Amino acid sequence: MSPELLAFPFLIIAIFFESFVLVTLLSSPARAARARSSNTPAISVAVIVPCYNEASTVAETCESLLALDYPKELLEIILVDDGSTDATPAAMLRLKDHPQVRIISKENGGKHTALNAGMASTNAEIIGCLDADSFVEPDALKEIIPCFADPKVAAVTAAMSVHQPKNFLQHMQNAEYIFGITLRHTLASINGLYVTPGPFSFYRHSTIKEIGDFRDGHQTEDMEMALRIQQAGYGIENAPRARVYTKAPLTLGVLVKQRTRWTSGFLRNVLGEYRGLIGNRWNDALGVLVLPTALLAVVSGILIFSSSLVTFTINTIQALQIRAGVPLTYIFSAPKPFDWFYLPTNFFMFLGATTLLVSLGLIVVGKRISKTPGNLTLGLISYTLLYSFIVPLWLIRATVDVTIGKHRHWR
Amino acid sequence: MSLVARNALIALGITIVLAATVAYAVTYLNNARVAELTAIEDQLSIDTLSLDTQFSLLETAPCESATSSTILSSELSDLGDKLSYAENQLGKNNEQVVRLKKQYSLLEIRDYLITKRLAAACGTKPVTVLYFYSNAGDCADCDKAGYALSYLHTTYPALRVYSFDYTLNLGALKTLIAVTKVQNTLPAFVINDKHFYGFTSLADLEKQFPKGALSTTTPSR
Repeated sequence: MSPELLAFPFLIIAIFFESFVLVTLLSSPARAARARSSNTPAISVAVIVPCYNEASTVAETCESLLALDYPKELLEIILVDDGSTDATPAAMLRLKDHPQVRIISKENGGKHTALNAGMASTNAEIIGCLDADSFVEPDALKEIIPCFADPKVAAVTAAMSVHQPKNFLQHMQNAEYIFGITLRHTLASINGLYVTPGPFSFYRHSTIKEIGDFRDGHQTEDMEMALRIQQAGYGIENAPRARVYTKAPLTLGVLVKQRTRWTSGFLRNVLGEYRGLIGNRWNDALGVLVLPTALLAVVSGILIFSSSLVTFTINTIQALQIRAGVPLTYIFSAPKPFDWFYLPTNFFMFLGATTLLVSLGLIVVGKRISKTPGNLTLGLISYTLLYSFIVPLWLIRATVDVTIGKHRHWR
Repeated sequence: MSLVARNALIALGITIVLAATVAYAVTYLNNARVAELTAIEDQLSIDTLSLDTQFSLLETAPCESATSSTILSSELSDLGDKLSYAENQLGKNNEQVVRLKKQYSLLEIRDYLITKRLAAACGTKPVTVLYFYSNAGDCADCDKAGYALSYLHTTYPALRVYSFDYTLNLGALKTLIAVTKVQNTLPAFVINDKHFYGFTSLADLEKQFPKGALSTTTPSR
């Protein structure tokens, strides 16, 4: 089957999903969420920072938390050293005298154990998590807390983007993260979120006590917890202006490793313990729309990429065979001036371009909603040129891992 | 109806509208391409008439014209490229494509004849290549041969390459095949009246050209 024919149903589904996001973005629940005021109710908060070998960033992360515009007596910062082997303990010690900061040291047991240790040590009503390589805006917590006004809300996510993107790959991730801001904001308005990311997600402590501590969750404890919250019938909200910046992988190898972990965690959780959420009617946004679309995205990414790769290889071989001694310089010689007559007018290509354009539009919307600072031009360019080519790398790797039962180390 | 169901229905409507718009845009562009083909057809008719007129005029004074050459220029080469592209896009059996190919072949034959007459009358030594191919699936090396000839024509613009679909049902072409005694062993080349069949490599093809013919300064036009 040609890649184009294979892509057709997936492109239609992608356009449908993007249209759904656009319509939901304009619906009253999302509009109400954007209009939500950032008044601070008197509610105690503890932010846990799980650290494993984060000596270079933990102090800056902690300082950004200390700068939060929130009543000091209600905000507690818990740094948990999860058995670091570098200078993290020493970096933490320099912060120990601050009245809002508490330090816990434990043997290495994984991120979920660090979060649980932090939670066990506090009676705060709201528990937040912040990865030790992330930094928050001073008003971020004020944006988060009002979302808990609804007693059915068990968790609230923030608006993530990349901390000072330096290269093309990081700019691409920044655009992707900002796309995520739009998606998370929109899907939260219909309770369709299935992950509460490590950077600055908050939980109602009483709900966590009810449904249980963090688990390893196939190395995606944030996804497992979110799915468990959904399964228990609670809601996950989003504060689109609670800006948090996280450090993104600088190299392709590290990025593929990180995303392989995320994708395999998603597949293992959703196709394993939380399979029952797929297709459930009591949360139709998550069960009928979001999870099936996310699974389809994995399948389509792999199928279209593999099929395109085979076609490209065959065409290249044929082109080289046809060459029959013609110098390579001729193949790569300057093309003729543009003539629209030769413009490929392919239905599938136009559909793909439509999907991409809507995606770029949603990225711009995400930046506006969250008021994320910085220039997006490089992000949009790198997203257009790179994203669809490298995503299949981790989709394939993760799917293979899940299929053969291979488990990789976190780092 | 729940908000999700309502939004899903609206999204479905938008998807249908978007897909229909894309389909309309593709059809519109393809129609515009066909309209350009019609323009090519008109151009070919004019060029054929022009060549006929030129042929008649040169009978009286073959070497006095400033253009002791014919009109098979880059413009016609461009027409040939578009025709080839259209054949790939619309299919070799498309009526308009077949009609265009016939007109183009006629024009090529006329140009070939006038080039030969001019050469005889004026003593010029153009290098002409009659290239016979088939895209009916019975010529495995025709793609390679066509590509090599494109390269040679681009590299040596003075070469006069005339490509013919051996299977095209055109009386004048059948006569040309009969006159030049080209056998149905494709790809076939007639390089300055010398026959050559099959294609192995660019180097082998180049050996079939007269000495010095493959030079960027060949003064054959």
